[in-house]
Amino acid sequence: MNPAPAVAETEITVSEAVTFPDGIPGFETCRSWVVMAAESATPLRRLHAMDGADASFLAIDPRAVLDNYRCELSASDLRRLGAGDNDSLLWLAIVMMEPGGALTVNLRAPIVINPKTMTGQQVLPHNCLYPLRHVLVDAE
Amino acid sequence: MLVFTRRRHEAIMIGDGVEVRVLRVGKDGVRLGIVAPPEVRVHRREVYDQIRDANQSAVVSPDQLAQVAERLTKAK
Repeated sequence: MNPAPAVAETEITVSEAVTFPDGIPGFETCRSWVVMAAESATPLRRLHAMDGADASFLAIDPRAVLDNYRCELSASDLRRLGAGDNDSLLWLAIVMMEPGGALTVNLRAPIVINPKTMTGQQVLPHNCLYPLRHVLVDAE
Repeated sequence: MLVFTRRRHEAIMIGDGVEVRVLRVGKDGVRLGIVAPPEVRVHRREVYDQIRDANQSAVVSPDQLAQVAERLTKAK
């Protein structure tokens, strides 16, 4: 695992509900989510659906996984988030427990939240060629 | 399902704002151009399906939450 940087100056905390106007793929009816610190594991966040379905995810800032992680948001992604070019956005990559026991992280389609508008979406950037399952911790 | 025959450079309109135009027809594929308003998200179906499947397999129970947290802490 790459050393997770002690959370940098870009640290953004979201404690109220974030609106995802389209839900996220597979959870299209979940429009309201909260982001919480996942107990004891600081770089980890927990995304919990407040409506639509009982769903919780673990997620991590993709830049804590890959230092040079960079995805460009399209103009329409920014518009949906109500974000300007210089707004600080919260990026979260969803963590998955693989059947073999490995932990992987979805760097391909990150969740992006604009704390100013409390709006979020899972983006599928066309120019982002990071893996859907980047290994975070190998199988035991 | 609605089915249309379209030739190169011909298009169909979906609602008022979405246009799908045939740009090129090859032996193995058709190249399409899509014009849609910014609020309409356009994705290759298989990419969307992959992300949906990954999301569905990523849901964690409270037990797993503690387990994952522990493994990540250990791995550091």
